[in-house]
Amino acid sequence: MRQPPHSAQNDGRPPRLGLPNLGLGVGLRNQHFDYLMRHDPPVDWFEIISENFIDNHGFARRVLERVRSLRPVVMHGVSLSVGSTDPLDLEYLKGLKSLAEFVRPAWVSDHLCWTGVAGVNTHDLLPMPLNEESLRHVAARVRQVQDFLERPLVLENPSTYLEFKDSTVPEWEFLSELVRETSCGLLLDVNNVYVSGHNHGFDPEHYLENLPHESVVQIHLAGPTDCGRYLVDTHDRPVPARVWELYRLAQEWTGGVSTLLEWDANIPDFPELVAELRKAEAALAGENPGGAVPLHGVGEAVSNPVSFGLAPER
Amino acid sequence: MTNERLSLLQHWMKTVVTERGGLEEKLRAAARLHGLSAEDVVADTRGLDAHERLGIYARGYVLRLLECMRADFPALRGFVGDAVFDAFARAYIITRPPGSPSLYELGAGFPRFLEETRPKDRPLEPGLDAAMLELPAELARLERARAEVARARGTEDDPAAEPLTPLEVFGGEWSLQATPCLRLLELKFPLVEFVGSAARGEQPAPPAPRRTFVAVGRANYRIFTEEVAPWQFAFLKTCARPSQVYAAVQAAAQESGEETGRVLASAAVWLPVVFEFGFLRRVLT
Repeated sequence: MRQPPHSAQNDGRPPRLGLPNLGLGVGLRNQHFDYLMRHDPPVDWFEIISENFIDNHGFARRVLERVRSLRPVVMHGVSLSVGSTDPLDLEYLKGLKSLAEFVRPAWVSDHLCWTGVAGVNTHDLLPMPLNEESLRHVAARVRQVQDFLERPLVLENPSTYLEFKDSTVPEWEFLSELVRETSCGLLLDVNNVYVSGHNHGFDPEHYLENLPHESVVQIHLAGPTDCGRYLVDTHDRPVPARVWELYRLAQEWTGGVSTLLEWDANIPDFPELVAELRKAEAALAGENPGGAVPLHGVGEAVSNPVSFGLAPER
Repeated sequence: MTNERLSLLQHWMKTVVTERGGLEEKLRAAARLHGLSAEDVVADTRGLDAHERLGIYARGYVLRLLECMRADFPALRGFVGDAVFDAFARAYIITRPPGSPSLYELGAGFPRFLEETRPKDRPLEPGLDAAMLELPAELARLERARAEVARARGTEDDPAAEPLTPLEVFGGEWSLQATPCLRLLELKFPLVEFVGSAARGEQPAPPAPRRTFVAVGRANYRIFTEEVAPWQFAFLKTCARPSQVYAAVQAAAQESGEETGRVLASAAVWLPVVFEFGFLRRVLT
């Protein structure tokens, strides 16, 4: 076992911002609604995509009500656009806060990214230039959001396909400084670390080593797609061996945090999803339950799939 | 770098991702608008050049939203076929980039887009009635209405309604009001059966044009899409504001040209259905 590296960020704060380790969870998806209304799900907790439930008063809200009564729920957003230079969308934040009052989530998360500018929302998680000035910009907005929501914000490292010439610091350093300045939490997506590391040529383990481990609240797992010369974060297949390796390291170094399996396209039945999630136990026991990343034709793989929220609910 | 620089980079990349055309056209537009090239902005890292990296985002933008459009308009997609639907949807995405944080709003403008961009004089193929060119937009209107009804506030949490007594028809402490999930459409084609058949995985023949009135509602999370008579349509429209039954009957008769007595008799039979389908609810006057 590798020794946990010294974390530069531990200044007496409780691990995970004092938030609980919820265990092993999955995303709440329309495709599983009927199953979840009939079964007590064999998972520890659920993550919802916040935007799919804001102002949704249909069957999805009823399922959420049931799931919330059975297990802890975390709200994960994709449209906060905390890095954008457009003003923060206060109507969106009001909707988020209102949903949080209904859900009473264990925490609220989103991404270190921007989704659009000039009033356009691309519904993609676009990369930030990483430097001192963008850090000031993002930190100010994180504080604004935390003040508005009256709770810490937990931010996820995105998968990225380009880096800016304006960037002067690596992503792990940017996130570490953001945590120091705002006391926000981190959602560590080990698959995204793997994807971005492959696409930009950095060492994923070095990335993990240099995060403030005490501020990691949650881990995401997912399966990416190999498009030949780059990887895409497709969330449409089992978790590969390399991601399980990173997961094990991350769990060792953080001391144990909530784990969430993302599967957002070609979504399997709930029992199959749970079987994939349970591989996390094997990974923590020292096995590696994953395989290689399958090769996919160039040009059709889509990162951050979102259409699952629009699939028929019943 | 200042926020102005960050803003410039974001506007540049937004143009590259969302602008019309192939990547080279997008980059030319971004250079013209913002004075930056791909090489000015994107770092040289291993494996891929700047154009390839930007292409991942530009392709992903359209494909991601295209998947959402396909999920929102299955009957339209089945009717026009995958290739034509994708062409419609891609044009819509590029022409009207989304602004809402909610993907449920993505398709809101699609029916109007189809209506505004349909060929006005030229049939799609020889032998096809020119009126059929209006069918895609009409189908999209109905599918959009159903999507809205699925998410709107419904009647699921209402207390169980007692049946209306005959006297209540003429007034009393109760009025009728449209539920928040009721949608009313006047369509140029009879599409209720068509959409139902498409939802069952069938490939229904396109209906001949006929002016129809449709009500879409929801009860117990089930969506009801019903063709209604002109007087029923007028009755439901009247109930956008709380209305006593007889007042709605009079308004429906006037608007539809039916005799009031005939509408009243028909309404007595029909009213239980409007609660069952989640079209109307009873409210205290």
